[in-house]
Amino acid sequence: MKKTILIFALLALSTLAIADSQWVLQQCTLTYHVSHPLHQSEGVSHAARGKGVCHAGQCDFLIAVPVKSFDSGDSNRDLHMIQVTRGAEFPMVVVRTRLPESDATSATINADLEIQFAGQTVQYKQVPFKLVTQGGETHLTGTIPATLADFKIDPPSLLTLPVKNDIPVRVEMTWRPQ
Amino acid sequence: MLGNIFRKRHSAVPPGLVFLYLLLASAPSLMAQTAAMGALTGKVTDPSGAAVANVTVTASSDNGQTRSATTGTDGTYKLDGLPPGNYLVKFEAAGFKTVELPSATVNGTETAVLDTKLEIAEIGNHIQVNKPTPGSEENLPNAPSSSITPPSLQDLGFPAEQSQGNPREQALLDKRTHMLKIHQRLGLITTIPLIATVATSFNAGGKSTSTTSRDLHTALGAVTGDLYFMSAYYAIRAPRVPGTETRGPIRFHKAMAWIHGPGMILTPILGAMAFEQKSKGEKVHGIAAAHGPVAIVTAGAFGAALLSVSVKF
Repeated sequence: MKKTILIFALLALSTLAIADSQWVLQQCTLTYHVSHPLHQSEGVSHAARGKGVCHAGQCDFLIAVPVKSFDSGDSNRDLHMIQVTRGAEFPMVVVRTRLPESDATSATINADLEIQFAGQTVQYKQVPFKLVTQGGETHLTGTIPATLADFKIDPPSLLTLPVKNDIPVRVEMTWRPQ
Repeated sequence: MLGNIFRKRHSAVPPGLVFLYLLLASAPSLMAQTAAMGALTGKVTDPSGAAVANVTVTASSDNGQTRSATTGTDGTYKLDGLPPGNYLVKFEAAGFKTVELPSATVNGTETAVLDTKLEIAEIGNHIQVNKPTPGSEENLPNAPSSSITPPSLQDLGFPAEQSQGNPREQALLDKRTHMLKIHQRLGLITTIPLIATVATSFNAGGKSTSTTSRDLHTALGAVTGDLYFMSAYYAIRAPRVPGTETRGPIRFHKAMAWIHGPGMILTPILGAMAFEQKSKGEKVHGIAAAHGPVAIVTAGAFGAALLSVSVKF
């Protein structure tokens, strides 16, 4: 009888193994960095949400964050950033990527990211991320080498001096299987 | 060999149990076949009537379930296995405006047909970084798959007011930025005659009897005042964005305006009184004697306001 139950359990497990699995973004901190001759500013958002769907060894991930959720500690600067990035018209930053399911056990991954922002869709190839898996959760950290020109954003200026083109975005995410 | 394995397995597991397992494993598909499922199909074309390939068509039901498909080279798509009900159908393609059809009815007996024509997007181009020539999305590692349903924005549950664009608010922000840019430039220009006015004050007041110095000081003060109030006009008239809480250095910048604003009104009034007294050969006295100190406080508040948004402390 025990043998029968064991075999039945194994058969049931094999059914689960071929089923789709999902990941959910548990925690995320996104930080953009802007350089100006007189200022170094950072805007932080904790409002990102994300989901991953795995099938046949491949996982499709989607992460989205409202443009308005970025806080630089200065409401005037944030409003200017929303204006120049056309954040009211295109309120979401949407990131899509596809990764092999086996990457979840790697220490580093290189992801091809498709980012929709400011009415533009831009692909960044082979963006490196570090992975740490702990207690069933996977922590990712990395920096997206974004620039204003990529998204056709006119550099905002202060005292007639424009900010630098580079706006690297630091990503810290915690994913857990659903 | 295979026969032996089969015989061994057959002997290890009771036939009834194997049948039960197969029944359980296939239950979802059997249920799907027996339930009345509908389908949605159609063709997507561009303004010229030509078929549009690679359009992502997403149907979202009232209870939040979504299903997606991509149009083929002939522009057609098919979403099948849809439970009967009303669906929000979204058509998304690079270079075209996104089309949302709020109510498409699917029933379980026939295939609903929903053709759509996409308009060319005026803004929102599709570009690619680190790739020499634009390629088709199918060749990319992260291109949407036709075999599975990738997660959609609806799956993330953002409220509509957060995820839907608002062109009116964008226009408001554009106007605000435009007016504040003028405010900033005029404010910067104002500093030039302001400094000159302060510099000429040393020869205009005190024991000096030179009318030329006094006239120059007055003229520079008048230019400063005019530019200041023009700059202030653009700050005051710039549209407010509802629901925005003032935080950061801009609070200090605005607080300083409560000092230099009244100061810019008071300074020329006191200056006119002092000018008149000096012109009569009198020593500046009474309330007119406050002209200098008020002007200094006003200029100081103006400079602090300028620095507060220029340099990070």
